[in-house]
Amino acid sequence: LIWKAFRRLKDAGVLGINSRNADYIMGCNPRSLFPRVDNKILTKKLAQAHRVPTPPVYFTVEQHGDIAGLQKALQAHDEFVVKPARGSGGSGIVLVKGRSDSGYITQSGEVISIGRFSHHISEILSGIFSLSGLEDAAIVEALIHPDPVFSSVSFLGVPDVRIVVYRGVPVMSMVRLPTRASDGKANLHRGAIGAGIELASGVTTSAVHLSRTISHHPDTGNPVDGIQVPYWEKMLWMAAETYEITGLGYLGVDLAIDRDLGPLLLELNARPGLAIQLANRRGLKKRLDLVDRASAEISATPEARVDWALRNF
Amino acid sequence: VKRPAVLLALILLLLASCLLAYRVIRLGYPLFPAAPGRTWQITIDALVRGGKGETSLSLALPGNQAGQTFIEEKISSGTMKFSLSREGPDRIGVWSGFIGPREEEIRYRAILFFRPVRIAGTTPPAAQDISAPLDRAEQELARRLSRNLSRLAPRARIKTIAAAVGAQWKPLSPTDQDFQAWRKIVEKYGLPAAVCALSQASGLPSRRVEGLRLGDGITAGPLVWIELWNGRTWEILWPETGEIEKKPENLLPLATGGSPAARISGGEISDIRWMTGREVVSHWRLHFERAQHSAHLLDRWSLFRLPPEFQQTFRILLLVPIGALIVGFLRNMIGFPTFGIFMPVLMALAFRSTGLIYGLGIFSGILLIGYTVRLLLDRLHLLLVPRMSVILTLVIVCFTMLALAGNIAGLRQMMAVGLLPFVILTMVIERFFVLVEESGVAEALQTAAGSAAISIIAYYIISWEPLQLTFFVFPELLAAVAAVQILLGRYTGYRLSEIFRFRKLGGQP
Repeated sequence: LIWKAFRRLKDAGVLGINSRNADYIMGCNPRSLFPRVDNKILTKKLAQAHRVPTPPVYFTVEQHGDIAGLQKALQAHDEFVVKPARGSGGSGIVLVKGRSDSGYITQSGEVISIGRFSHHISEILSGIFSLSGLEDAAIVEALIHPDPVFSSVSFLGVPDVRIVVYRGVPVMSMVRLPTRASDGKANLHRGAIGAGIELASGVTTSAVHLSRTISHHPDTGNPVDGIQVPYWEKMLWMAAETYEITGLGYLGVDLAIDRDLGPLLLELNARPGLAIQLANRRGLKKRLDLVDRASAEISATPEARVDWALRNF
Repeated sequence: VKRPAVLLALILLLLASCLLAYRVIRLGYPLFPAAPGRTWQITIDALVRGGKGETSLSLALPGNQAGQTFIEEKISSGTMKFSLSREGPDRIGVWSGFIGPREEEIRYRAILFFRPVRIAGTTPPAAQDISAPLDRAEQELARRLSRNLSRLAPRARIKTIAAAVGAQWKPLSPTDQDFQAWRKIVEKYGLPAAVCALSQASGLPSRRVEGLRLGDGITAGPLVWIELWNGRTWEILWPETGEIEKKPENLLPLATGGSPAARISGGEISDIRWMTGREVVSHWRLHFERAQHSAHLLDRWSLFRLPPEFQQTFRILLLVPIGALIVGFLRNMIGFPTFGIFMPVLMALAFRSTGLIYGLGIFSGILLIGYTVRLLLDRLHLLLVPRMSVILTLVIVCFTMLALAGNIAGLRQMMAVGLLPFVILTMVIERFFVLVEESGVAEALQTAAGSAAISIIAYYIISWEPLQLTFFVFPELLAAVAAVQILLGRYTGYRLSEIFRFRKLGGQP
């Protein structure tokens, strides 16, 4: 029985977590290159050098002493995002929409006092949200105004597009849509929706919410499939370019679409989750094998790799 | 990447099996050092009341047979003198002294290792004419009865005698008169003596034996049976039923000379009991003895050479890698959620001193208290290190309270709480809190239950004495464990839990 079930998963080309860890992450992602994706400040610098757009950075806070000066410097900005440079899973991110007499107003309408805001930054610096628990830095960057394309199927927050890139070739993608349950965050395990995107066309297909298959957004009631993602080829190119940026062979690339600035690289993940397979109702393994077999055919440029991906997936 | 890993695993396996084979074949280590059933503890407890003169108690002791090795023998004689003497092959322990009318407690304890021995040779044992002091007429009768026997082969002869004891006299066909005379002899000397007389008259050496059956049990009197020499070995005949024992190796003869296993003069035995029990633990002492006196390199580098107080530690330590292996197996092949890798193993180690029930109870209690405090602490927005320190302090305070409560209630298990891994407990509280916040209570409880389940499994594995002993005798098995760990590390197949997680994908063609 168990063997049969394993067999079925294998036939469906499902990538399991053991294989992902041992064959792809350890095989393609040298440990020494991890800081390039784990530290968002470094990621942004590298991305800029490759002309991949990222959200504009207002400040970076690296020492507790800088927190006091931050308030003054933030006068110029009404909207911004604070995130830890080495955060994981979206924890520690605060979206500020405006300010009131007593402090800042967050995305969800909550008011945070100045004192609590400073405390949050100092928490970030002491490494509460960082992957390793070591000292961290905080980034204050521009708030993204999401392109209206997903507004009918997201509740607050910023939908982001996740593209899994193997050896520079985009292999699978989905868009993560925030829900009321996920508190505006685009993380699947917090209750966001994952909707698969057909790689060749950039149109959304099936979707999962908390590991159930759904067709409509639970909060807005609108269908999540059949949405054409704008700037699709540019996004694929940005994703493919991350191979040159980081040198890592197996990456999850998170992009957001700003209504003014277009697609922006939010962050990279060296250990992308496997739920993307559920969102697409398709196993990753077959596509990864296809890339492995086609390696001679794929030329060195990101454009050629995107081209190949569009033709094959 | 796969091949070198498999190769390394193979090399480690080979190394382990070579060392193991060397120890077994060249140094004569037992392949299954913990195999039960071959080491027995024999205890004799007696209460003796003395008379006016000197009291002397004679007990037949084990150790009279080939293939019996003493691992330990302890004699407590109270105020009496103890001496050892031989009667034929039997070892007789004699306790003597002037004890008056008060009761004296006498205790004998031996741990014996039984090696299977083939009693080779066809020479019958020396004739022992001690069994039946028959008079001339009675001897004549025995000869008449056994007339038809002498023609049979020894084994057939024994069968016929056994049948006769079981009231089947047909082949012997005695006359009614002889049969009545035989009944008188049985009444006069007892059945065992009568049967001995009969078989000796037919030319078969025989003897009356008192002894014990090896099994976990207590008896107030030893068993009595008859041994008949079939030309190669003693066959055992039960006088009550006339049956021939099929498993003579399970019997321990104590007194083979016809005399009782316990005799007293100048007093009385007010209570006596014989006990036999299987002994698993003490088995290793045998290897200890061997390793102590051996000059072999592997023996000199044996763990048996360590002082005993450190040996105990290593018996546990050697099993910790297995615990880690189990954690790896359950996580990577089954998909159990756990808090960290080592937490379940460390919990299992701690359970050894607190006990499983107390350990789990204390653990979940402190986790609950810790979680509540952590929830309150969250409002204060403390920084990471001080916040963890507060939780750590809380854990220590809980330990102290429990130990004090345990002292008042007289529960040692609760005082042993200090051995729980407090650092791990502190981190579990923090991770439990984060998990509840990020993934919900259900997921956090699942992870906690998974950790508890693994620590229980690991606890039972590291407490399993035969396994402890096996690893203690053959520490090279650790290389084999490492080999399995390496292979597990290269397991890239699906986890059992992924069948469920990706069940929707599996359905597609």
